[in-house]
Amino acid sequence: MKSAASTSVSTTPHRSPELGRQDEAALLDLLQELEQRHGFVPREFSDEVSRLVEVRLDRLRRIQTKLDSTTRRDVQQHVAHWRNEEGNLIMILHAIQNQHGYVPREVAMELSRELGVKLARIYEVITFYHYFKLQPPGAHSITVCNGTACYLKGSTELLQECRTRLGIAEGQTTADRQFRFEVVRCIGCCGMAPAMVIDGKTCGHVKPADVAGHIAAVGQPKGAAA
Amino acid sequence: MKKLTREDLEQLAANPASDPPEWVRVQLDTGGIAAGAEAALAALAAAREKSPRSFALLRAGSTGFSFADPVVEVSAGGLPRVYYGRVTTEVAAAIVERHIDGHQLLDDHIVATRRRGVAIGSPVTHILVRDTGPDAADQTEFFQFSFNEELKRRGLADRVQVVRALDLGVYGRGTAVQLLPSAVTYVNLLAPDVARIVAESVECGRVLDDRLWKVPDKQVRIVLRHCGSLDPDRIEDYLTLGRGYQGLKRALFELTPEKVIAEMKTSGLRGRGGAGFPTWMKWQLTRGQAAAQRYVICNGDEGDPGAFMDRSVLESDPHAVLEGMMIAAFALGASKGYFYIRAEYPKAVERIERAIEQARACGLLGPNILGSAFSFEAKVRLGAGAFVCGEETALIASIEGRRGSPSPRPPYPSVRGLWGMPTAINNVETLACVPAILTEGGAWFANFGTETSKGTKVFAVTGKVRNAQLVEVPMGTTLREIIHEICGGVFQGRPLKAVQTGGPSGGVIPIQHLDTPVSYETLQQLGSIMGSGGMLVMDQTDSMVEVAKFYLKFCVDESCGKCAPCRIGGYQLLQILERISRGRGAADDLLQIRRICLAMQRASLCGLGQTAANPVLSTLRYFGDEYQAFITGGVAYARKITGTATPAATRAPALAGPGNGGRAS
Repeated sequence: MKSAASTSVSTTPHRSPELGRQDEAALLDLLQELEQRHGFVPREFSDEVSRLVEVRLDRLRRIQTKLDSTTRRDVQQHVAHWRNEEGNLIMILHAIQNQHGYVPREVAMELSRELGVKLARIYEVITFYHYFKLQPPGAHSITVCNGTACYLKGSTELLQECRTRLGIAEGQTTADRQFRFEVVRCIGCCGMAPAMVIDGKTCGHVKPADVAGHIAAVGQPKGAAA
Repeated sequence: MKKLTREDLEQLAANPASDPPEWVRVQLDTGGIAAGAEAALAALAAAREKSPRSFALLRAGSTGFSFADPVVEVSAGGLPRVYYGRVTTEVAAAIVERHIDGHQLLDDHIVATRRRGVAIGSPVTHILVRDTGPDAADQTEFFQFSFNEELKRRGLADRVQVVRALDLGVYGRGTAVQLLPSAVTYVNLLAPDVARIVAESVECGRVLDDRLWKVPDKQVRIVLRHCGSLDPDRIEDYLTLGRGYQGLKRALFELTPEKVIAEMKTSGLRGRGGAGFPTWMKWQLTRGQAAAQRYVICNGDEGDPGAFMDRSVLESDPHAVLEGMMIAAFALGASKGYFYIRAEYPKAVERIERAIEQARACGLLGPNILGSAFSFEAKVRLGAGAFVCGEETALIASIEGRRGSPSPRPPYPSVRGLWGMPTAINNVETLACVPAILTEGGAWFANFGTETSKGTKVFAVTGKVRNAQLVEVPMGTTLREIIHEICGGVFQGRPLKAVQTGGPSGGVIPIQHLDTPVSYETLQQLGSIMGSGGMLVMDQTDSMVEVAKFYLKFCVDESCGKCAPCRIGGYQLLQILERISRGRGAADDLLQIRRICLAMQRASLCGLGQTAANPVLSTLRYFGDEYQAFITGGVAYARKITGTATPAATRAPALAGPGNGGRAS
């Protein structure tokens, strides 16, 4: 793509109608090359590029508006459901988190407008409770229970094993967004301690040696120590 | 569903329904589902399609046999009613094929009922065998073989089946057998006893007194009365099989609010959330406040790690909790109630929401319930993973949609609670007791328990215990009875070291106090608390310093940061413990720990901070020599104990006093 763009410039320098088909990276390369060759960007090019930028910005703005209105509609729906209840903020946040897997910033801002509550108040609540998340979840979730029963039966070793396998610490998501690794207080399955939950499926009586197998069953962690 | 009237309820009380003749009940609670109960249910349904016999496939909550999840109860094929534990899909198919169609009990999966027979009323049809001693020398198969041979010799082999059981509820008593259907149980069997049992008991129906297990079942089920025998998703089950809403009917039509409170006073019921405040007094105080609106809240924010009683009750018998809340509301004059339940318990939330919907459809919620003047509405609010929200004032803040920061008391919630109105907050278990008290009477409830602690208490016994399960015992039962007789002692037969009660707010109870009868006062004297009912069993391989650190870390993470003693004190305490457990403790560290603990207990704003020091203080009190050993033994000792990745088993007996510190196995 890049080489094609540069050759086309060197042979036919005035092909402005073609510019519209090029992506941002190619346009940037093109401008760079023109600048190097002529010492400046010819007027017809710069005009054409500016026009293209405007067109694309406009398109993106429309997408943004669409997205905003979707967000607004979602938030309005949640709020409408809880409108007449007192103390509804936490329940609305639960609904939002169920929908997105976390509380996105733009949704929180929309919620603030919709409820007439300051954004700081909303974040005060979100950050106080462990259950609400501000980062998007990974494709797969690995949750290790660290309730007392699991702790006594060796969840510490499980945690260590998960850290090595996934290459991340608890509360983090792998760089490729494949795995999110978390520790929870207690999942209430003390009869099968130590337990871990992988993509909603609970595995009981887990030994450190089993961890790799359980993780491999849902996906392959990248870049972790074997 | 049609609206119920008072007459309908009276009719239901007069004609109690019974189960269909042949049924299989799958126990679907969170623990069971996690272990594969839904797969077992699907396998049973698939097998039923192929089976020539028809039977009812029912859903239920959990009886509490967590060690055997998923559990399925079967009453079919003319065989005695039995529980099957660890039911995989293969076992589920086998239950239909062999038990229901083939009239044979399955080996290795039966969990015997806790019923203990003393006389053989009807002929013996099945003998359950289980070696209850150490696993290494398992003689179950040998005895099964001997019984079979003996029965063959006497020509009884086609009349009596010998089955290997998974669990007989008797532990450390050699080989035990239970004769069904009478549930007569023999223990400490030797090879010659086989012939005697077959000759005397099976043939002539005589009980062998010298081998009979006479100890009656220690458990009394009041809170868990319906758990495992009702479908929590069907109000019809609760109304017909569970004699549901009869307590409410009695309160509404036969009693006044004052009389309900008097009945509660007679019962002596105290708050099951841990502090043990008399329930009647809480209701009285809330009722005594003049206000336009009063609230009742059910505290289902069971944040104590390792405890799952409230979850189990909410999941297995949601209508009982709802009925309890309605009776409470009637007694204290509230018209609105909230269930505050952890969001981490989606099943419990789903079931209580369904219970509320069904109750509303039946006219048990809403205006003028059952035609009386009493109106009530209940709603569910979700917690969001903050341990401190189990504290009353923080819980109220959370329901109001704010951060769950506690506020100073007084004013108590019974004076100024939710939205400034008088509010009574009761634990799930407390509310589940209420309908039973109203139907059976307060005096009946007061029969159980001790002088000051009446009734029963549910414990979730977990940790290094052989059979992790839910146990409901009368107050005053000793810890030894709970752990050794009901739950089978320590996992893999290791020696017990301590029992932890009350979660992060409680303390450890060492082995020398194992015969303490459980009640609010006795546990407090030992430096622990009753708490909500988590009971963690620890064996000799658990380092008490590590345990204290674990709980303290929990409290430090959960501290809301509002008051300094808890926020700063907890952190400093954790730093010192970290240092000690790395073998870098100083001589005066223990003194410093005591000073910080005292400050936290005296000056913290809420229960979280006041009790956060308890695990540290109680381990220091009973296992001070372990702390000393860390300090005097230094880094070398600490490495041996907490060795980086050594599995728990290999570092077993390294815990020693200061004198012989550093001695490894």
